[in-house]
Amino acid sequence: MSSTVIFPAQPEQILKGLGKLWTGLGHEEKQQGKPTVLRACAMTLVVATDEDDGGFAASQLIPQLMHGHPCRGIVLAVSKTAEHDVEARVMAQCWKPFGKAQQICCEQIEIVAHPESWPNVGPTLAGLTVADLPVVFWCRHKGALSVHATPEQKAGLQVVLDLSTKVIVDTAGEDPMSAFELVMRLHQNGRAVADLEWARLTFWRQPIAQIFDNPMRTNKFSNFHTVEIEHEGAQPTPMALYAAGWFSGFHKAKVKFRSCQGFCPGLHSIRLISDEETIQFERTGPEIMRLFSTNGRERVYSHSEESLYALLNEELSIVGSDPCFDVAFNRAQELLIGQ
Amino acid sequence: MYQENWPDTYFWPYHQTRTMSVIVQPVTEANLLQDPLRFDRHVPPCAIVIFGASGDLSKRKLLPSLYRLFYERRISQSFAVVGSSRTPMSDDQFRDKMKESVSKFLEDAPFDEDVWKSFAQCLFYVAGDMSNPESYEAIREKLDEVEQSHQTAGNVLFYLSTQPSFYAEAVKALGAHNLTKGRGWRRVIIEKPFGHDLQSARKLNEEIHQVLDESNVYRIDHYLGKETVQNILAFRFGNGIFEPLWNRRYVDFIQITAAESIGVEGRGAYYQEAGALRDMIQNHLSQVMATVAMEPPTVFDANNVRDERAKLLRAVRIMKPEEVEKYAVSGQYGPAKVGGQDLLGFRQEPSVDPNAQTDTYAAVTFFIDNWRWAGVPIYIRTGKRMPKRVTDIAIQFHAPPLGLFSQETKSGLREARPNLLVLRIQPEEGISLRFLSKSPGSGMRLRPVSMDFNYGSSFGERSPTAYETLLVDAMTGDPTLYTRQDMVDASWQIVQPILDSWANTKFDFPNYDAGSWGPKASEEMLARQGHVWRIP
Ligand SMILES: NC(=O)c1ccc[n+]([C@@H]2O[C@H](COP(=O)([O-])OP(=O)(O)OC[C@H]3O[C@@H](n4cnc5c(N)ncnc54)[C@H](OP(=O)(O)O)[C@@H]3O)[C@@H](O)[C@H]2O)c1
Repeated sequence: MSSTVIFPAQPEQILKGLGKLWTGLGHEEKQQGKPTVLRACAMTLVVATDEDDGGFAASQLIPQLMHGHPCRGIVLAVSKTAEHDVEARVMAQCWKPFGKAQQICCEQIEIVAHPESWPNVGPTLAGLTVADLPVVFWCRHKGALSVHATPEQKAGLQVVLDLSTKVIVDTAGEDPMSAFELVMRLHQNGRAVADLEWARLTFWRQPIAQIFDNPMRTNKFSNFHTVEIEHEGAQPTPMALYAAGWFSGFHKAKVKFRSCQGFCPGLHSIRLISDEETIQFERTGPEIMRLFSTNGRERVYSHSEESLYALLNEELSIVGSDPCFDVAFNRAQELLIGQ
Repeated sequence: MYQENWPDTYFWPYHQTRTMSVIVQPVTEANLLQDPLRFDRHVPPCAIVIFGASGDLSKRKLLPSLYRLFYERRISQSFAVVGSSRTPMSDDQFRDKMKESVSKFLEDAPFDEDVWKSFAQCLFYVAGDMSNPESYEAIREKLDEVEQSHQTAGNVLFYLSTQPSFYAEAVKALGAHNLTKGRGWRRVIIEKPFGHDLQSARKLNEEIHQVLDESNVYRIDHYLGKETVQNILAFRFGNGIFEPLWNRRYVDFIQITAAESIGVEGRGAYYQEAGALRDMIQNHLSQVMATVAMEPPTVFDANNVRDERAKLLRAVRIMKPEEVEKYAVSGQYGPAKVGGQDLLGFRQEPSVDPNAQTDTYAAVTFFIDNWRWAGVPIYIRTGKRMPKRVTDIAIQFHAPPLGLFSQETKSGLREARPNLLVLRIQPEEGISLRFLSKSPGSGMRLRPVSMDFNYGSSFGERSPTAYETLLVDAMTGDPTLYTRQDMVDASWQIVQPILDSWANTKFDFPNYDAGSWGPKASEEMLARQGHVWRIP
């Protein structure tokens, strides 16, 4: 169930709108004579976007994410068609957990700003975050993140950043130098930063890491002196650099990058080389991956690209710092500079 | 996140020894590549042998949990289940039977036909009587077979889900047939009840230890696997504000309630021998008490947490025989009409002796003789055929030192002790804190209000069931939530005087109606301390 009201984006008006929504839900509950609605919130999730869809994709995704991460979801979209400078609507997103009679409801606010009014969105947002809970900011506003951002765009972004405990960006397809510069810039004042390119690597990292879980294994990770990464495009992508940063971050293994020919979106393969064994994890088809060792065994995985939902779900589970990412990022930066 | 296509090709576990005479010593090195924030806990390849595979527990809990873990790809494809009991069945018949149960008993989760198909490929069955040595040889053969076909790496978890009278015999036979040693690890999960009294529990421990080292014995208490019981530790030791209040200075008393609305549901014969004190308080509820009252461990690991639980149980005052009547109440339900339905009394249930002296209700007052809890009564009650199914822990705090508003509470209710913290374990898992607030309007009229945290809504995702958690723990070798020998011993010690006294008493049963909150004597037990049972 969800209900909607549209009005100019004054924080008090939006909060009043939310209040009315809850009163309405409470009224339904009274009629039924039993508690049917539970209000849940563990964080504020802000999504800012300058995509052409006016925030539609983000608005669709938030209700799905709420099931695992109940939150007040706020979508800030930039659209030339906005009637007021900044306008907002509020909704209750409700669902019934499997086998339960009671609905769980979260709040969603959508704010649409005319491009010129984007810098004014900050103060609105400042009045809307839920007190004392983390504020996670997923920034899809490429314009504001870019090094060429206008002073207005930068100012608008800064207000949201100042409120955030964690910022999520996606550097897929970006030039690594500017991507890493962005991550560094965001990583200020103890704010946690996440890059969805790193979350995409979890699928690659986990099976390889599990190989070394076995206490009976004699060829330990520290015996692997070289890491080879085969990547899409002529230059290593941020994802390729993160992978190299991760596998070489602990004992400074030698890193080699190779550009891949043929079908290879993102990463194509990761090879760990030791004197007595090579472990390779590679794409062998659009949805097939193969993990094998020169010791003679292999395993095949079917794998389609992670959805944005899966990536964000993973990121929202980590609200504080992410030491593994920090190791990989620092080493990836060294590798990039050394390139 | 990923789908493994080749179930039988687990290849990582062992270095390939090139000559038979070389013993390869593993080099200890922490896995630097681990990322616990993002990776699932890795369950190593293994085979699980379930004794009592055709029984109720296997059908309702074990197989549904294993299927669910498989569905979530928490367990490696290099795993196999070998079920065993006397009923003759082929592998396929066992698979069909388990499919029926899993689809029926899967909790809060959908059943997926395709996932079942690949899961079913990991299920095998060996028919045999546990008293017959040939059964163990047949199991060994099957284990050798699955070690090859499913690459289980020689790791075996034995699950004893049969009548308790078989536990010692089964462990002895596992030892005699060399099944407790092998290429990988060997662990044994033992279901409750662990012993029938202190003496039998000690004897069972001794017999088990003749074959197995304590580190390989996993005594299951599924209450400890419940998310909300684990959450007690998070609540107490993850927050700074509650622990300073968690002592005799602020706490007046604690009530632990585990009520069931159902009766004995066809298990009358078993229950008649056990009774509520043995079935619930000796194990589950004393472990819950230990979790609520234990000291903070210095490190959160299996040994430290279990040391603290054991220490707490050892600090519980053991009743003298003459104190039992004052501090323990036994009850048995009689017939009643509830909601227009006639409910049988316990003695009228099938396979129950019409003169049974069994306690279907037990309430006990415990005192913990340590500095933190001296003088604070801990009331525990459990019963069948209560008005509703609920398990919770209520911590009643003292009244404020000066009752400024005591005359002013609405409706004339005495709210002398307004502050109550309730940790709800089931069915609506959560935590609520009751405090007084001013009613709107003129005058200082106060009304109790409740601040509520609901586990399910704050974390909308499905929580793993207790058996899922505990099975993964046993497969990964983490015994934190399993009961150690000294804990079992201590918990038998605290109930033994009550058992002894009740065994020598002829009760005037039934003494409470089905659908009520228990016998009057239980209310009186609390009234003597100036307290009342809350209605959960
Ligand atoms: N059910 C529960 O919810 C529950 C909860 C907590 C603890 N437990 C404990 O779990 C254990 C099992 O309980 P349950 O309810 O599943 O019992 P159950 O339904 O009576 O099952 C007993 C199992 O043992 C097998 N069995 C009996 N005699 C045997 C023999 N001589 N050789 C080989 N197998 C034999 C039976 O199969 P065959 O007749 O085919 O041999 C059956 O599979 C008990 O210790 C119980 O206290 C049960």
